[in-house]
Amino acid sequence: MRQQMSSILRYLVVTVWLLISSAAIAADGPAPDFALPDKSGSTVSLDDFEGQVVLLNFWASWCGPCREEMPLLVELHDRYEALGFTMLGINVEEDSAAADNFLRTVPVSFPILYDRTNSVSKLYDVIAMPSTVLIGRDGRVRYIHHGYEPGYENDYQDQIRELVRE
Amino acid sequence: MHKRFISLLILILLGQTGCSNVEPWVKPYERANLADIAMQADRDPVSSGYINHVREAREGARGAAGGAGGGCGCN
Repeated sequence: MRQQMSSILRYLVVTVWLLISSAAIAADGPAPDFALPDKSGSTVSLDDFEGQVVLLNFWASWCGPCREEMPLLVELHDRYEALGFTMLGINVEEDSAAADNFLRTVPVSFPILYDRTNSVSKLYDVIAMPSTVLIGRDGRVRYIHHGYEPGYENDYQDQIRELVRE
Repeated sequence: MHKRFISLLILILLGQTGCSNVEPWVKPYERANLADIAMQADRDPVSSGYINHVREAREGARGAAGGAGGGCGCN
């Protein structure tokens, strides 16, 4: 009886631990590295931008707020690029034809990476579309934004300013 | 008796873990097909807005269309 109870207890502990550990990415944790193909097919990895402030933007052409946000991101990128800042637009679509169509109407000056298998979306625990992750020069995740509403670009700008100064 | 109780307990525990990881089965980044225009109940918001207005104003029918109000005609 006691043995059975202890096995039940063990089971409970494992269950609770699994529940707690399912939270993957957190602000102030190290940003997991990844490598994805860009438009030309060459592989771009997060490590290539070591020492820079990086903004990851998970987007899709079928996502209204993402489309709304894209031109504003381009503006931010062009303004802060010279200060050691870069953006990586991670397209989460399996079929990137629609994304390429969208990019023809909204030309983007930063690299767009194609996460066709959603492995990086899983890695970064994307719980909303779009999701924006700001990574500091030290390679740690500093800010995470879920979704987009008008005005978020001001938050991005403040945070980019703060991070490029470090 | 004990055995039955314990097996019931284990069953309950198993059931609970089945429900413990409730999360969207379709992840936000997998919603390409759900976001498709063909999946929308409201194909033409202008047209359906007009039809709703007709139903409200001409037929005195309100509610059940996602809007507020109960059909008393007072708001």
